[in-house]
Amino acid sequence: MSKQVLANMKTNKRLRKRYRKEKLFKGSAIFALSLAAAFLVFFFYNIINQGYSALVQAQILVDVQYNEASHKSYRKAIDKSYRKIVSRGWLRTLPIYMEDHPEVMNTVRNEWVVATADVDQYLKGKSNRLKDKQKRQIDKLQEEGKVKLSFNSNFFTNGDSKMAELAGIKSALVGSIYVLIVTLLVALPIGVMTAIYLEEFAPDNRLTQVIEVNINNLAAIPSILFGLLGLAIFINFFGVPRSSALVGGLTLALMTLPVIIITTRAALRAVPHTIREAAYGLGASKWQTVWHHTLPLALPGILTGSIIGLAQAMGETAPLLIIGMMAYIPDTPTGFTEVATVLPAQIFTWAGESIRAYEERTAAAILVLLSLLLSMNSLAVWLRKRFETRW
Amino acid sequence: MVNSILILSLMSVISGFFILQHVKKKSLNSRWHSLPAYYAWFAVLWMVVPALCLFFFSSVLHLLHLYDVGASFLIPSTILLTLWGTWRGLKQINPELKARESVEKVIRVSLVLAASISILTTIGIVLAIIFEAMQFFHIVSVWEFITGTHWAPDDATDGNTQGMFGSIPVFAGTFMITIIAMCVAVPIGILSAVYMSEYASEKVRNTAKPALEILAGVPTVVYGFFAAITVSPLVVKFADAVGLHADYTNALTPGIVMGIMIIPFISSLSDDVIRAVPRSLRDASLALGTTMSETIVRIVLPAALPGIIAACLLGISRALGETMIVVMAAGLRPNLTWNPLEGMTTVTVRIVDALTGDQAFDSPETLSAFGLGLVLLIITLMLNVLSIYVIRRFRSQYE
Amino acid sequence: MKKQIFAIAAVAATCFTLGANIAHAEERIHIVGSSTVYPFASYTAEEFGQTTRYKTPVIESTGSGGGMKLFCAGDGLNTPDITNASRRMKAKEFKLCAKNGVNDITEVVIGFDGIAIAQSKANKGINLTRKQIMLAVAAEVPNKAGTALIPNPYHKWNEIDASLPNRPIIFYGPPTSSGTRDAFQDLVMKHLTKHMDVYTKLYKADKKKNKKYKKYKTIRTDGVYVPSGENDNLIVQKLIKDKNAFGIFGYSFLEENSDRVSAASIEGVQPEPDAISSGKYPVSRSLQFYVKNDHLKKVKGMQEYINLFVSEDMIGRDGNLTDIGLIPLPDARREKARHDTSVHKKLTLADLK
Repeated sequence: MSKQVLANMKTNKRLRKRYRKEKLFKGSAIFALSLAAAFLVFFFYNIINQGYSALVQAQILVDVQYNEASHKSYRKAIDKSYRKIVSRGWLRTLPIYMEDHPEVMNTVRNEWVVATADVDQYLKGKSNRLKDKQKRQIDKLQEEGKVKLSFNSNFFTNGDSKMAELAGIKSALVGSIYVLIVTLLVALPIGVMTAIYLEEFAPDNRLTQVIEVNINNLAAIPSILFGLLGLAIFINFFGVPRSSALVGGLTLALMTLPVIIITTRAALRAVPHTIREAAYGLGASKWQTVWHHTLPLALPGILTGSIIGLAQAMGETAPLLIIGMMAYIPDTPTGFTEVATVLPAQIFTWAGESIRAYEERTAAAILVLLSLLLSMNSLAVWLRKRFETRW
Repeated sequence: MVNSILILSLMSVISGFFILQHVKKKSLNSRWHSLPAYYAWFAVLWMVVPALCLFFFSSVLHLLHLYDVGASFLIPSTILLTLWGTWRGLKQINPELKARESVEKVIRVSLVLAASISILTTIGIVLAIIFEAMQFFHIVSVWEFITGTHWAPDDATDGNTQGMFGSIPVFAGTFMITIIAMCVAVPIGILSAVYMSEYASEKVRNTAKPALEILAGVPTVVYGFFAAITVSPLVVKFADAVGLHADYTNALTPGIVMGIMIIPFISSLSDDVIRAVPRSLRDASLALGTTMSETIVRIVLPAALPGIIAACLLGISRALGETMIVVMAAGLRPNLTWNPLEGMTTVTVRIVDALTGDQAFDSPETLSAFGLGLVLLIITLMLNVLSIYVIRRFRSQYE
Repeated sequence: MKKQIFAIAAVAATCFTLGANIAHAEERIHIVGSSTVYPFASYTAEEFGQTTRYKTPVIESTGSGGGMKLFCAGDGLNTPDITNASRRMKAKEFKLCAKNGVNDITEVVIGFDGIAIAQSKANKGINLTRKQIMLAVAAEVPNKAGTALIPNPYHKWNEIDASLPNRPIIFYGPPTSSGTRDAFQDLVMKHLTKHMDVYTKLYKADKKKNKKYKKYKTIRTDGVYVPSGENDNLIVQKLIKDKNAFGIFGYSFLEENSDRVSAASIEGVQPEPDAISSGKYPVSRSLQFYVKNDHLKKVKGMQEYINLFVSEDMIGRDGNLTDIGLIPLPDARREKARHDTSVHKKLTLADLK
């Protein structure tokens, strides 16, 4: 196209209008994508901004008296002027500590101890309920270097607590792991077996069609309705203990099942027919072909799908509300039939707490959950990239 | 009980291992019908399956409260049955036995059983909901439930439920929030998909698509916290600035946040279907001198439309059934209004509220959760069937 | 071969455990019940777990009604050991318990909960009567002559009573599923309407159709009363923003936010601990829990937990629970609670009538 023609075209009014439209369209498409990206960035910025301060916790340097009197009445372990600013939740554990560690008896130790949530919030410049007198006391201690913000290890080693300064995510995290194990043990075998049946064995009859439509429907059913199922079937009919990791895991397994079935079928379908036919040609039976050839080749895809399904289950809350996992459960579970709570449930209960110090802890728990989910998802992506075979 | 089961299973694993070894050695001869491992599995199956059946039946009896088989009977009889099975299995092994066929038959049966669990789940959900919903509709007439415009369950405990369970305000809230969510998600989702599939370089697309999918992977309870703590005050402030009054539990907040959540569903699925439109269609159009946008709007999008509609339907059913965002950010007030700045309640909020509230278990309000759940189930199933139908039609166009 | 061992192990283990009936041993206290008692019970449970060597009890907030249902479902160890309630057990529930073999129950009252009508601190103090509040929130109220019921016409306080300010009526209160709402309806509305002819005569005219007029408690739904989450921070934010509005919530929540909201006096009495525990403040109710005595010997630490709960350290005048909003019982009744729990006083049907 010569320059002249091009110039002619540019003078063409209609053409210019069309080009303008084109620019506008492309612009709005870019705008839409960047808007979505902006949401993502704002969302993460917001959560991190709210949550990072929970990673540190106020501590106070005090003299702790270990003796008979403080064993009897733990308040006496510290000086009276500190009683309003040192966490009572820590103080009350002293008698048992003394019993377990007799060597500390009759000593006075200068120790860093946990401060109350209000002191913590005051040091972080957030709203608190300290009285002016206590604020002056804290200011003075700060000048003397007797108050500090240090890493909040309680958050990772404690369970839930009614005292914000002691509240942690350990029991919820362990509960989540238990629930996920149950989900995996139930959903993975059943899901993979169903997929193998539908993809490799099923005759094209009514039953197969019903199953296929059904799986699609299951994937679309709102998660809260699975909670109603768990309540009616597992708890009321099978008598599985309420609030246990087992009932949570079973309910989530049924929810994850369609995800695993659908991804496994896709992975099996991606294995080319030539491989199956080669196996048949050597006299292998159908099952031998599946077990020795198709399934190993489809394994990376199956794993990827299962991890994504599990990540989904890990973040799910609504059905667990119904089956009693929203309880106050500070102890770490040690078995599948023991009561447990999970991370999203913990986030939900903390979000509803009226004490304001829980807000940053909620955000911090969210950060932990999100980083777990993101690493699971990246693992899935990595697996897919690493083992993907192109036929 | 649990301990003895663990010991039993450990014992059977060990003995199973020995049986496997033994049988494999015995049948290492090429004139046998099947491979050695099949004979071994044949024996192991004989060992395990009869005992398992006994366990299964006694469990069923126990659960149906028909007869309680005590552990003192169950454990010895299981051991006996295991021994008998092992003996039977081992005795049958000889070169003529078609062990492969038998084993594969068992495998096939268990595959069918696994596949039917998904059906059982659906039946379970439907039955569990219908059973309780029947109790509810025993008290409240279906017609009134569907057409009533007044939801005030607090007076209904005395057996008089006339005019207190009209579900229209509850569904109005659900649809309002869904519509707001779709207003956010559909344009952004589709335009993002268009950009990713038509304009963007492969590199941009490969980063943008997974990045957007992060939004889909964020748990809904997190979105709920984000909506309640961050977005809701922002909306109220913004409404104030333009001289409007907004409730803190307004419908707009959960709508917007839900929209953000649904963007990746729509963008990813639409991206896939847009890319599935054959290259030749685009080339033909471009060769006629159209601009990119004209090709996209006139040729590509119409061709991909069924798939995009199916994606949107999926998004809608997500939004209808979404629970945590609305529980944490939407109101509890059944409110029939067009104003999204007012508080509204949704079906899922009512379900959670009724089942975790202070009311007696058999009160009409608690049972209403199942009535609402039933309607929600029907709506989402219908949407799903509709989207499957739309996708089927689309497929037949190009293949 | 290794692969096969694993395969068999997995198959055998899952099949056997799934096929077996699920049995579990009760090693920790299981508590259900009212969401109003929940904060106090969970605080005590934590104290119990931290200061003794027993496991921390599990507490599920199921609501008073849901708690009773679970509690009375049977005597087995898989049923709750204790249920909390923000109202007394109903005779119907007691009979259900008896029917299912739960006969030996002890009732323990632990304190009071006051319902506060709160507003933003920026407002001047206000005094309301129960009747004024009832007229402000009921769906149907008597007309001026007091002869018939009309849909609630009041949108400003001075329309109800000329002495009240010219201020729009707006309430942010608990939702229908809440026990606080039940208590509010009982203590404010039913308390008055069951003695008001204009309501009860409708009931007498047609007992079947007009049952709700016997003790009228319907709250208006025209937007004046806005159901909001219970003990929700958002309620306080709303009150600060909307200076005309009143919020209805538990006393403990009022105390926690006393820097931002203040309470209206009801019939001249402020909701303060003394006024509530002496019964002067009219809108208050007792909180209690019910113990399944058959479980005391079977569940480790149950008696110790109950002892801790009724100790002066927890429910006393300066106890830890009063710090988080419980209103203590008068001295004699606290003593009685301790006595009842030590002798396992058996609840009878006559007690509940």
